[in-house]
Amino acid sequence: MACPADVKPPIHPSPLQLLVTDASLLSPSHLPSLQTLAIQIQHNLQYQHSWTALRLHTHSPLTNEPLPRPLISGLPPKRLYVHPDEQIELLKKAEQDRQVRSRQGDNNTALDIKTELEPEWVLPTRLDEKWTAHRLSDVFGAITVVPPDEEASDTSEDRPANPWRTVKRIVLAAVSTDSTVVYYIVQDGVVKPRQN
Amino acid sequence: MAPVTEPFPISNVAGRYLLFDVDVISHVRRNHNICGVLIGTIPNLSQQNVFLGIPLQLMPEEARVLVEQGHAYIFDDAQAHMQGFFGMSRKDRLEFLRMMDERGQQRARDVRRKAEERSEKALREKGLLQARTEQKESEALVAEGDPGTDAGGSLFGSTPQLPANRRVADKKLAPHFITPTTSYPPLAPPSQPSTLALPEVPRQYPIYRYMQSKGYFAMPGLRFGCHYSIYPGDPLRFHSHFLTTGLGWDEEFELLDIVGGGRLGTSVKKTYLIGAEEPEKEEGEEGKVRAFSIEWAGM
Repeated sequence: MACPADVKPPIHPSPLQLLVTDASLLSPSHLPSLQTLAIQIQHNLQYQHSWTALRLHTHSPLTNEPLPRPLISGLPPKRLYVHPDEQIELLKKAEQDRQVRSRQGDNNTALDIKTELEPEWVLPTRLDEKWTAHRLSDVFGAITVVPPDEEASDTSEDRPANPWRTVKRIVLAAVSTDSTVVYYIVQDGVVKPRQN
Repeated sequence: MAPVTEPFPISNVAGRYLLFDVDVISHVRRNHNICGVLIGTIPNLSQQNVFLGIPLQLMPEEARVLVEQGHAYIFDDAQAHMQGFFGMSRKDRLEFLRMMDERGQQRARDVRRKAEERSEKALREKGLLQARTEQKESEALVAEGDPGTDAGGSLFGSTPQLPANRRVADKKLAPHFITPTTSYPPLAPPSQPSTLALPEVPRQYPIYRYMQSKGYFAMPGLRFGCHYSIYPGDPLRFHSHFLTTGLGWDEEFELLDIVGGGRLGTSVKKTYLIGAEEPEKEEGEEGKVRAFSIEWAGM
């Protein structure tokens, strides 16, 4: 019994599945399993966490060698990480602004903390993988502190660089078999904790 | 606090590294940011373990750092006792015994004085002492003022004998037997650094050494499921900043451990830190240890 063309098939592939099985997205530099993993994480970032400017990297922006695995860079909708010292600075500035506003007769006395958006690196992993410090250090060795801009103009930074962003950091995305993704910030070196 | 001369000895007793000198304990805490754990308890209240005292047990890592940097040396305490007591000269032994006797005498005198104070107090409470002291005073007056007259004012005839009795008792007082609680003195800790091997350390030692060299304090991390909880200053003044796990450079770990450690750490305002020693890298300014700080991304 043939289905008519306008009837929905019984099992409709999900948008993610269509994306993952799209052979045109795959590059020859890495194993397909690693690339589909990156595509899955990218999909999750784009549609569940509203990230923008997402880009897949297969080669290191530093050495142009193939990366240990494809990485993603993107812009989160709000600042993902604020260093505790930067937070103190921002709070001081916000407090000064509030005082200025109250002197001008503004009734809005809420503390308004302004943070610039920052692009982030994302490392896609599967939860059942095993990692070593060696592999982690290889990933950090291949990335820049700030991901390069989309227009491949790595040198000309139109966004002012954040002076607090001095160590490399990467968002570790671990996807479990039920496709839940958890995100952890991994920084290179000893960095004191945030005071939430 | 008396000044401590380095290198100072660390006792190795049954595989533990112990410090018995309170000056050394505060010295390592102040100058080498090493806390250790106080393990001394009262022998007859051994269950009382809230406020423990000397000795201080050092982690093997702490002892190793101190020895490697030349601040301390390890000595086998059991062997030092055997050598010290069996190899003691006759003169030293007699001197020690005489000292012990002296302390025993002193102790016996103290005990008797306490007993007298007690009985005096009891007598005073019953109103009997009043009479005795008055009588003593009058006796003294009589003795000083008029030695010729008979002490007619005295109520008890036997009282003049009392001081004499006491003097006799003082001579016959049996010394108490003292069990010495420390062996230094009579022994002196071995002064020359021994050739004892460096303390055996677990594989997480490099990250401990790295953090110690940066001035951090470390405490055992069992309470947070890690190797060390690391403090930015003295643990009495600061909350800890890092839950630290040490790994081998090519030792595989589960990502679930990162998730668990990162999530637990973030929920208690700490960073989960993993560290490993890179084998082939040159010894640079930063050392050979790589550390990674992990926090929950909050999304």
